[in-house]
This record gives sequence, C-alpha cells and structure tokens, in this order.
Amino acid sequence: MNPVFVIAGYVLREAASRKFILAFMVGLTLVLATVAFSLKLEVVDGALAATRLFGEVVRANIVSVDVALRPIFRAAAYLVFYGGILFGIVACSDFAPGLLSPGRIEHLLALPLQRWHLLAGTFLGVMTLALGGTVYAAGGLTLIFGVKTGYWTVGPLIAGAMACVGFAAVYAVMLTTATLVRSAALCSAAGFVLLVCGILAGFRADVSRYLEPGVGRASFDAVTLVLPRLSALAVGAADLASSTPLAPGSLGMLLGGVLVFGLGSLAVGFWHFEGKDC
Amino acid sequence: MQGLRKTYHRAFGRGGHEALRGMDLVVPAGSAFGLIGPNGAGKTTFIKSVLGIVRPTAGTVRVLGGSPEDPAIRARIGYLPERLHLPGTWKSPAFLATVARLKGLKPDAPGLLRLLERVGLSDAVDRRIGGYSKGMRQRLGLAAALLGEPALLVLDEPTDGIDPMGRLEVRRILQEEVRRGVTLFLNSHLLAETERVCDRVAILADGRVLREGRLEDLGRGGARWRVRFAPGADASALVAAGFVVAGDSGAEARTGATSLAGATGALSRSGAGAAGLPADGAQTEGVYVVDAADVTVLNAALDRARASGALLVELRREGADLEAVLLGAVGSPGVAA
Repeated sequence: MNPVFVIAGYVLREAASRKFILAFMVGLTLVLATVAFSLKLEVVDGALAATRLFGEVVRANIVSVDVALRPIFRAAAYLVFYGGILFGIVACSDFAPGLLSPGRIEHLLALPLQRWHLLAGTFLGVMTLALGGTVYAAGGLTLIFGVKTGYWTVGPLIAGAMACVGFAAVYAVMLTTATLVRSAALCSAAGFVLLVCGILAGFRADVSRYLEPGVGRASFDAVTLVLPRLSALAVGAADLASSTPLAPGSLGMLLGGVLVFGLGSLAVGFWHFEGKDC
Repeated sequence: MQGLRKTYHRAFGRGGHEALRGMDLVVPAGSAFGLIGPNGAGKTTFIKSVLGIVRPTAGTVRVLGGSPEDPAIRARIGYLPERLHLPGTWKSPAFLATVARLKGLKPDAPGLLRLLERVGLSDAVDRRIGGYSKGMRQRLGLAAALLGEPALLVLDEPTDGIDPMGRLEVRRILQEEVRRGVTLFLNSHLLAETERVCDRVAILADGRVLREGRLEDLGRGGARWRVRFAPGADASALVAAGFVVAGDSGAEARTGATSLAGATGALSRSGAGAAGLPADGAQTEGVYVVDAADVTVLNAALDRARASGALLVELRREGADLEAVLLGAVGSPGVAA
C-alpha cells in the first residue's frame, strides 16, 4: 500500500480515538435527527403550504418549495463553511505536530518512506476527515429536506465541497506551520489568522475603500491579493446551495485562487521539511 | 562513516553547536556494536545521521552498502528510538500492522502475534497501548524494530524501564538476532548490558570517536592472566614458576614490565582483595597473576605450576571493565552514556 494512504489511515485512526471529534459527530447526528423529527412540511403541488416546528405552525406565505428552502440552504451553507473550518482548525490542529513530535517522527523517518509521504498522508487524512464530516452534515440536510418536500438538490453538497476547498487552504498553512514549530496552539493560531485574513481578502475591494489612499491601502491591496478569498468562496457556496445564479467565471477564479494558495503553502512546507533535522 | 560532521545552526545566523566533529567509523557486518560516551557526546546525532533523520553538514554515511536516504536500505533497518511515542488508544497488533504496512510487508496477523509473544507481550494484545508500562512500551518498540527481519538493528536504550527479568529476555532476543547474522548497533547507558551483548564498542566524546575496537582489546590490561589454584598449592613453587599473588600490587607492578621467562616476582600473602574480586579470604585464596606474551608461554607456566602439584581451578584474561575503559578514555568520572 502506498505510504501516503497508510499515513492517512494513521491520522484517521487517531481522529477516531479523539473524544471531541466523536462528540461532534454525535452532536451533528442529534441536530439532524432533531430537524428530521421536529419539522413538518406540507407540500401541495410543489408549493410549501404549511410548516410546523415542534408542533407550532410557522407563519409564512405559500411559496414554491425551492424558493422556501433557499434561505435554509443558504444558512446551512454558511454554517457548514465557517463552522466546518473553525471546527477543523481546532480539531485538526494537533495531528501534524503529534506526528512530528519527538519519539514518533524519528521512528517514522527510519521507516522506508519519503519525508513528503508523511506530510501528504497527514494532509490527505485530515481532508478525508473534513470531507466525511461535510458530506455527513450537508448530505443529511439534503436527505431530510428531500424526503420531506420531494425537492432534491445537490447544492448543499457542492457548497460543502467548496467549504472543504477553503479548509484545504487553511490546513495547508497549518501543516506548513507544523514543520516550522511543533505546536498545536501555533498551528491553530495560524489557521485562525488565515481565516480572518481570508474573510478580509474576500471583501478587499470594499475594505480598501475605507482606507486612506497611500502606502496603507497599497499594502492592504498587495497582501490581500495573494490571500485566498474565503468569504467570497463562502458567498459562492451559499449561492450554489440556494440555487442563486453566479457571475460567469467567478467560481472558477475563486476556486483556482484558493487552490493555488493552498498548493503553494504545501510546497513551502514540503520544501522546508525535506531539509529539516528532526 | 567518513569525516562525519554535524553542526546545528541557530536561527538568524547566531552561531551553532557542533555535535559531530569529523567521525570516522566502520561497523563490521554481523557484529554487535555498542556506542558509549558521556551525555552530549553526540551519540543521538550520530544514530540519527546513520538513519538519515539528521542531515550531516559534511562527510559520508553508507549503511548496508547504500545511502540511509534510500527507502530500500531503510526497509532493512529496524530502529528503536530512545523515547518512542506510541499511539495510546491503539492496541499493539494494530500498531505493528501499521508499521508493517509502512515497511512494505504483507499482512501477517499470526506473524505479528508471534512477534508479540517473542517480546513477552502476548498477554497484553487486547489492552490499549496507553495502559502499558514503560517496559511494555519498550518491548513493543523492540517488536516494531524486529518487524521484517531487518539486517541492521539500531537500538537506543532498548532496556530502559524494563525489569531485570525482562532485560534478560531482551538480551536473549538480541543475542538470537546477532546469531542470525544481524548487525546490532546498541546505545545503552547500562555499560554492563553493552558489555554482555556487544563484541565491539566505540567510545564517543565531544563529537569524536575516542576509541573503537573489540571489547576484549579495549579492556585488555596487557598480557596478564588471572589464575586461581585449588587450596593447598605450594606458593613458593608457584612464585618460582612466575606466578605472583594477586593483590600484591608491588610485586604485580614489578612483574608487569617483564616477560614470564624472566619473572621471578616476590611472594607476599597480603590477603587483600585482588582487582575485580571481593576482599574475601575465600575468594582470594590461591589467586595469582601471571604475565604471558602468548599462549605457549602461558601454558609453559601452567605446566610448571601443575608439575609442582597445583590444581588449576580458573583462568581468565586480566582486563578492565567497560566502565574503566570509558572513564579512562573520557577522563571524567561520574558521566556515562
């Protein structure tokens, strides 16, 4: 078996033993179950005629199901995007520092694998975990509303996949940080900083307008130019989840930019780790 | 290893620490090689260089005929780090199976269980590693190192935390591996263990190899033999044959510079304990030393002793133990590997 997959399995097995990750999955299941059992939707000829939440009637106009579900899927997309990234930053912050910790890294590096296998395997394991969680959350929501309304859409799943792309860029920075300092706290700090900067970068044109013209604005524009535009990606994910049309070509540019940033960060991490004494 | 140097540079060019200062060392295939030296001698850096974990600043390292960077070479090496960090929530068969997969070995669950039984962990296969004692963790680390029948075993403090009976078992396993033809590279602060397991030793200090060679050559105190005769031996006849009572330092010193043929020695039954033996009358009774350049001279002396009616009970080469060799080489008491 390819060492990358073995290391990814190693990471997933470690993740499965983490109580808070298991608690998160249980919590997610409970939320989905609560939505499934407490929400009653009456659909007549493709229109949402009545909604009951915990037995109480929710006053709303009669509208077609897809239109009625738009705000729900939009909110779910934002929740999956930002909530998923935040949880991922916290939950996955110590996988790489743990794998690179003294006593474990020597043992791994003495085995017949290349150094990049370790980083690639860790990245793959974490991304598998993130994708699994996203598919579970977004897929569960899609399934519940699909069964209740008969309206099936892959929008939330695509939005979840976009959240994973955003998290991939964030985790690439966290992994690179781990090759520099074996600290879970610093890894998660790097992830948080990138998330905040990525949100700012998504609104860079709006924020830039509020800055005084000159060095400050030029610096802001220059720095945010190379950062992944995470908030713009979140908006795109929400638009897709709610079946709102996107500007032509905008999604490809956004995803491309985030992917290039993530791959660039990983390349720096791989390069640094190759020459590092452990 | 040839001209091996390693300097750990500090950040922002603030100098550095020279851990290895030009080491030349050849470890013969199939030998049991011990590495000893004081703290900070560079032993860990040296082991990491051998395994390709640390990149040398200068010099070349060849392991099993190839580069330690080559995964095919590393597949033939078993390594036990000093402080092996094990996944606490896993069980030992799962851990070994993962290591086996990373070594490119085929799945062999019964083989893993046999290996666990060999290191004395057969009763703990259903327990999580987190609940293992330090000694059990070391045994598991040893099992991981033994996976795939490696040609080279690099063990850093393999018996650390293991009880005396466990040490005996580990020593037996290591001796079995050496008999199988494995090259053993052992770093242990337990000099007695190194002495029992290894046939060659290198003494490291300050990033250099101070002494290296066969254990008996390093510990040899010249051509001197310690002999014990059965009670009732004629002391004057033995002295005439060139034997000197052990513990008579003056006489020992005088004869030490001469060959057996010319040795007359002086007899002095001081009753003091001889070097390496307890100061016990029963133990020193009939103990003599004799200098013999080769076995022919030694046997001639023994023949003369036996001709006088003395009965040989014990014969061994006089030599310093590893601790004395280390202290002699490093010259700093109180520090050992």
